Amino acid sequence: MNGLVIEKPLPTADGDSQAFWEGLRSGRLLLQHCADCGHVQYYQQRICRQCQSDNLQLKPASGKGTIHSYSVVYRAPGPAFKDDVPYAVLLVDLEEGPRMVSSLVGKDFDALDFDAPLTLKIIQINDEVSLPCFELAINELHSS
Amino acid sequence: MRNSRSLRGQVAIVGVGQSPSGRVPGRSPLDLTADATLKALADANMNKSAIDGVLTGNAFASSFHRFSIALSEYLNIQPSYSNTLQVSGATAGAAVNTAAAAIHAGLAETVLLACGDSLLTGMTPDMAIRAMTESRDQQYEMPFGIPVANTFAMTAHRHMKEYGTTAEQFAQVAVTFREHARRTPGAQKTEPISIEDVLHSKMVTTPYHKLDCSLISDGAVALILTSAEKAKEYTQHPVYILGGGEYYSHEHIFLMPTLTQTGAVESSKKAYQMAGITANDIDVAGIYDCFTGTVIMMLEDLGFCKKGEGGAFVESGEITYGGKIPTNTHGGMLSYAHPGIPAAWFHFAEVVRQLRGACGERQVAGAELGLVHTLGAGFSTQASTVLGTENTL
Repeated sequence: MNGLVIEKPLPTADGDSQAFWEGLRSGRLLLQHCADCGHVQYYQQRICRQCQSDNLQLKPASGKGTIHSYSVVYRAPGPAFKDDVPYAVLLVDLEEGPRMVSSLVGKDFDALDFDAPLTLKIIQINDEVSLPCFELAINELHSS
Repeated sequence: MRNSRSLRGQVAIVGVGQSPSGRVPGRSPLDLTADATLKALADANMNKSAIDGVLTGNAFASSFHRFSIALSEYLNIQPSYSNTLQVSGATAGAAVNTAAAAIHAGLAETVLLACGDSLLTGMTPDMAIRAMTESRDQQYEMPFGIPVANTFAMTAHRHMKEYGTTAEQFAQVAVTFREHARRTPGAQKTEPISIEDVLHSKMVTTPYHKLDCSLISDGAVALILTSAEKAKEYTQHPVYILGGGEYYSHEHIFLMPTLTQTGAVESSKKAYQMAGITANDIDVAGIYDCFTGTVIMMLEDLGFCKKGEGGAFVESGEITYGGKIPTNTHGGMLSYAHPGIPAAWFHFAEVVRQLRGACGERQVAGAELGLVHTLGAGFSTQASTVLGTENTL
């Protein structure tokens, strides 16, 4: 080997996102709700993207969502992801409205479909970082 | 009434040059870019002292943060107007539009646009990782293993769901551009491929197989732009900039307003309006082809066919000779070369040569009006440019 340490890119919180990553560490996916216009946003920033108010409140997401689109990755985008392939990346529409990028827990790719229901599963990566991933909500699919 | 603040016919491309491209080991991005520049100067019968502006994009395989300044030093040019632009794949179109505006506004008289990189043979592991991880947000995208290729894959996948676009239709784009590359000297990939070959090539990220994905290459292109008044001093066949438009709709893929319709709708509308034309008037196109599905979506958004009909449009032969809009006649990034940010400069070089009537056996007969559309970063960045011959002024 060339001695290069190949680690996955992990998030480093900034002033906009500190509470978000702290929330995930304590098991909650926090969304920003604008108290002025009602807009809900996933990507954390100081101001509301709809009305630019700074009157934002953090509330935990229900953890329910659906698949807007997805791709199963067979060729790793760099050495850090070689052990993970194949894996599925998801565009998730959260019940509260916002869309987010995530990845599927597990490898049940045949069960993936557009609009399929998902359930949040927060995965602890290390002491600092937990990532909001999703599982297929198979039972719910069958009962509905 | 024509908008008085229009670029139409004010500026022309008078020189085009390319370095060797494909696999070009042992040559730095600056060397390749200087090589292309010297060829563009020779093409324009121009001395480098005429250049007072330099615009470039950055090179991944180079450590310079100000590539335009480093290039100027390499060529021993001291410009009075310079910048290194970064709007990913749309940098080429943005650079042409911006240079034309600068010339029209008097900031410069003659601008060198040049871009080169050695993605295939010049990248150290450090550089490759930097290129990979810097492409998307470190907090909200990259931790999930989603660099830029997967953003394009998810838009294409959604297009299949909404419009019934098929893997065979995607594959047809790769097959068509490979046929085009076979007629182009210097193309990186020239062996014929079939739809079956594309579908049986390794899956990279669904729905894209290896042959749905563009190449990795070394190479550089240079263009020289000057005012319409000066253009005839350098060439008998200036290619005029008739219209430019850009659009920047989002940074994160999850904030793209609609996955299957892009800012190319807005960027091309602005470019067509400035040029006083519609998509139907265009004879030849260069369309950024990082993936096969990208081209299908762009044919719709640029107005060559209706939304959702891009797959059938490609399947019925409309993007090759004899079709409605011969596209990427050099072979594009799928078969000619994809050295990263410089890739779309090749589309400009090809459309300029088509409008000069200099393409030999791959000439589109009677081409007078051309469109180059460049884009990047998961459809975040979009730049359209309409080019035309003297007859179109």
